[in-house]
Amino acid sequence: MNVSENEINVPPPRPLIQRLGAILWPSFFAAGVATMVLFAFVDPIELAAISFPELEISRETGYAVAFLGFWLGNASACSFTWLLLRPRSRFHASTAERPRTTT
Amino acid sequence: MSNPSATESPQELKLYVKTPKVYPREVDGRFSRLRVLAAWVLLGLFYVAPWINFGGTQIVLFDLPAREFHILGLTFWPQDFFMLALLMAIAAITLFFFTALAGRLWCGYACPQTVWTEVFLWMEKATEGPRNKRMRLDQGPWNAEKIRRKVTKQFLWIVFSLWTGITFVGFFTPIRELVPSIFTLEMGGWEVFWSLFYGFATYGNAGFMREQVCKYMCPYARFQSAMFDNDSLVISYDVERGEPRGKRAKNADREELNLGDCIECMGCVQVCPTGIDIRDGLQIECIACAACIDVCDEVMDKMGYPRGLIRYTTESALKGGKTRILRPRIFIYLGVLLALISLFSLVFFSRESVHVDVLRDRTTLYRMAGDQIENPYALKITNRTESTQRLILSATGLEGLVVVAPTDAIEVPAGEVSNRPITLALPDDAIGPGLHEIEIILMPEGSVETPSSDDEALAIGETRFFVPGGN
Repeated sequence: MNVSENEINVPPPRPLIQRLGAILWPSFFAAGVATMVLFAFVDPIELAAISFPELEISRETGYAVAFLGFWLGNASACSFTWLLLRPRSRFHASTAERPRTTT
Repeated sequence: MSNPSATESPQELKLYVKTPKVYPREVDGRFSRLRVLAAWVLLGLFYVAPWINFGGTQIVLFDLPAREFHILGLTFWPQDFFMLALLMAIAAITLFFFTALAGRLWCGYACPQTVWTEVFLWMEKATEGPRNKRMRLDQGPWNAEKIRRKVTKQFLWIVFSLWTGITFVGFFTPIRELVPSIFTLEMGGWEVFWSLFYGFATYGNAGFMREQVCKYMCPYARFQSAMFDNDSLVISYDVERGEPRGKRAKNADREELNLGDCIECMGCVQVCPTGIDIRDGLQIECIACAACIDVCDEVMDKMGYPRGLIRYTTESALKGGKTRILRPRIFIYLGVLLALISLFSLVFFSRESVHVDVLRDRTTLYRMAGDQIENPYALKITNRTESTQRLILSATGLEGLVVVAPTDAIEVPAGEVSNRPITLALPDDAIGPGLHEIEIILMPEGSVETPSSDDEALAIGETRFFVPGGN
């Protein structure tokens, strides 16, 4: 009976690849920009000297670690947004928003 | 609150339909030839540019380890970041301008996603055959032929992807050293990582994701409609002319059958790389590659109908009006673009001729020489001029501060960076302990030696002088 209603109110989940794409791609892009801006002003060697002076950190490592770190951070934020935006009705059908009709 | 459908709910998870694979049919025509030409030029630039040397350095080399960008014989440093930011703004506004004027030219002809997908599709066609054959192959059982064709395709894809990844890294590490280092197994760890990373991204995006990137991931696809108006060039099906569509014999009389020009051959749908039907109207999925125009023109020629049932046109023109090219939107984008280009030129041509970075010596903070406190530094002097610079050093900021070494002029060849150790000295009773702000001034040799005047200074570096605590 309510199936057609639910079909309207609860869109089917997107395929995994779309979800992954929507999370990984914007975070990748933002990480690229962030890395570029950061290292335009900071030399990774100097950054290493004030953070981990006991480690031998080359510039290449600095760039890569920062980029991957930014990506991870951004992807976490994007994933959280995705988590929050999932329609709860998909998991708790009783709370599904349906058009206000008679009841 | 009781809801009989609650138990049905979990089943809804299964409602999702897997995106069907798109098998674009091959097409030949004016626009597809233009697209192939664009692909050759763009990929040619990408794969060949790193191999071209100019005056001993790679023509385009983003030397991140040395923090220098070499582009067409010019050298840029991190301090030039402002210029890079301006360039990006210029690129963005240029994109907006062309979108307003001519629609999604970028998507159809220049986007790396489109260009690489096209190459991957070409390899797919070469190994698995034309569209119908590919579809049959995918549906058919895994026999020897299918395995052979699929393996060959994967082999081509993977080799091409790896080469793409290596070329990408070649923009950051001199490629003429990088490629031999693969064979001698001396490639750096990060170089291997980024080659594989970029190669894998190419493989995934161009081999598998394809139109899904445009449909679900691309931000430009989502906001390009903001640049559009009724006078922007779009690819559109002429509904007036085409409908009612219907199959018919080649010599049939349209009037008699009461049919439009569309013979419903489905050509436009089969060639579409994003798998849409252009006859349904302007859609966000359309990347304006014009494959449907080519295939439709071909069919129109065969039928003896005029070309252009699907064509580049504008909303205004379709409604029977005139297309206005010169309109406020165009002038605004053009104005902003010109302003940014002027600003960039200004910044570019007024780059400081000599730049100095002062680094404190990492190992020695200070040393005593008699009653003098000496501080060692490393100077990194960048000569951006086209001639050799001879520079005299002086130091200001503290009473009695002098340059101990070097005493004669420092010579920096044109366009090069010179690293020089220097030593400054201060009498030990000049000032209390701590780090004191000082400036190191570089002046051209032969100028009036007045350390306090900045007018003659070619470059000024800021640093600190360390005075040890007395005990």
